[in-house]
Amino acid sequence: MITEERESAAVAEPGIEQVVPGASARAHPLPRGSPLRAPYWMMTPSLALLALIVFLPILIAFYLSLTGLNQYTIGDWLHAPFVGLRHYRDTLLPQGAFASSLFNSVKASVAFSLLTTVLITPIGVGAALLFNQSLRGRAFFRAMMLIPYIIPTFVNAILWRLVFMNGTGLVDQLLGDFHLGSRETFWLIGPNALWAMVLADVWAAWPFVYLMSLAALQTIPGELYDAATIDGANGVRSFRHVTLPLMRSTLGLALVLSTINHFNNFTLPYVMFGISPPEQVNVLPLNIFVNSFVTFNFGLGAAMSVVALVIMLTPAVVYLRAARVGDETR
Amino acid sequence: MTLAVADRPIRSTRRLARHSAGSAGRYVAALAYLAFVLLPIVYMVLVSLQDSVTAGTVVVPRSLHWQTFAEMWQTVDLGLYLRNSLLIAILTGLCASIIALGAAYVIARFRFRFRNAFRVSLLATHTVPGVLLLLPLFVIYVVIQHALQVRIVGSYFGVVFTYMTFALPFAIWLLSVYVASLPAEIEEQALVDGADRLGVLRYVTFPLAVPGLVVTFIFSFLLAWNDVLFASVLTSPATRTIGVGLQNYVAENTLPLWNQLMAASIVSAVPAVILFMIVQRWIVTGLAGGSLKG
Repeated sequence: MITEERESAAVAEPGIEQVVPGASARAHPLPRGSPLRAPYWMMTPSLALLALIVFLPILIAFYLSLTGLNQYTIGDWLHAPFVGLRHYRDTLLPQGAFASSLFNSVKASVAFSLLTTVLITPIGVGAALLFNQSLRGRAFFRAMMLIPYIIPTFVNAILWRLVFMNGTGLVDQLLGDFHLGSRETFWLIGPNALWAMVLADVWAAWPFVYLMSLAALQTIPGELYDAATIDGANGVRSFRHVTLPLMRSTLGLALVLSTINHFNNFTLPYVMFGISPPEQVNVLPLNIFVNSFVTFNFGLGAAMSVVALVIMLTPAVVYLRAARVGDETR
Repeated sequence: MTLAVADRPIRSTRRLARHSAGSAGRYVAALAYLAFVLLPIVYMVLVSLQDSVTAGTVVVPRSLHWQTFAEMWQTVDLGLYLRNSLLIAILTGLCASIIALGAAYVIARFRFRFRNAFRVSLLATHTVPGVLLLLPLFVIYVVIQHALQVRIVGSYFGVVFTYMTFALPFAIWLLSVYVASLPAEIEEQALVDGADRLGVLRYVTFPLAVPGLVVTFIFSFLLAWNDVLFASVLTSPATRTIGVGLQNYVAENTLPLWNQLMAASIVSAVPAVILFMIVQRWIVTGLAGGSLKG
């Protein structure tokens, strides 16, 4: 580690200034200050850009949520009518005009993200336990397991839209051929839509849990199992008392991250169901998108995204704690 | 947090002892997983080889209709979408990895007061719903367009610039993990030998960090390639990316051309699959810092 007490000559040779393209090397041909100082100026491009495109927009979104900005007033946004908390009243109070729409979306989002996470956990952990053992062709199997995860979400959504087509899709064909149900089962409209989306996402997202679990398993030293065997533990007991406790923190991180990712997933519902989805899959990101960029009610969209941000706060804090950023024993 | 999925066999006495006993059971389970993974993929390939009349209504093609892969370029401007996606993703990857390098180096090598706060905020940006950022950025772009008579919405620049909202925090995080894994002793030795900080960076750190830069480039590329949300608002017909453009196979035609849509989907997934396979070892590090999907 380069620590602060380093001594070195701070004489820049000509011709080797621009280390980081985009960093203002011309303004600082020499490392600013003493060589004992960290070159904080090197962070300037990143910090400036992040302030401009992440921090500032969040503040502006808060402001927009208090205005009646729409497609007519966008050209003169600073003079858009200030409506105060009207959008929040409309969405959060029970009698508000958009209250049932927001409540329904929150319900759909929570159901979708929790159901998916719950379903992918056993599939992913099971695969990790399986492919951590010695197996002929293991490298091949491991590579194949990545496929659902690495195909783009928009491809996944299109594929499952076809699979769930009413009457002609793979699912309805199989239901009909094996006499398990009606060939005319509707999946992309009506109450089944949530299950169609959950299934599509389970298939696409389970390798996430698998990868995280496998990484955790690989950090467990084999000696621990030898010791457990000597102490008389059988397979089940060494799983419960060695494997599980040592996987727990990584698995916890995987699960909370998975919940956050699914909650924020826009692409899957948008490509699978379009801009007028059945209410069961009208998840929060899709609802906000439609309000903002289809009906151009920017103020309302901003208010709803602030609500989404507040809902994400709890899982976000859990995630940031689970990621143990301050932990230097990486 | 550096958890690499290395494909090394961990041999313990326990595993060797139980090797033969559970072997058959393990194979059955492995094949079940393989079938689960491949079934939808095989279906996608089969539909892409069906003729336009039966496409999507049967499982096995009547005859192998390879022409689909030629016809799909005519139905919608697939070539344009792929070129746009490629250009935007490459620019995003380059900008993110290059801009991130400075910040990544500083937080990997130095301890300072707001270091952890900064690193936490990098991860925190991932939990912010994308539409929360898209909305104010879109409004800002429209306002700037009105004021300065320049074009941002619909331009490559607007898309790439906006992609920095998620690509840059991710790139800084990933690259800092990589730089932290490099031995600092070489840099220290160079400083002792009389090189200055910038010389060390240029001739010691940068060459060592090149693999990390490549990994960061690829991940940022993939983030851009996979985006639909931002592209659906910020691209015009001329700058349309593949994620948005694919939907035109269903939208523009009265009869949805499922065979061509599947064929085009396969083609648009290929770059992502190849690049992911290259950075396989790094996926888990990427995952912990905010996933690539979702």
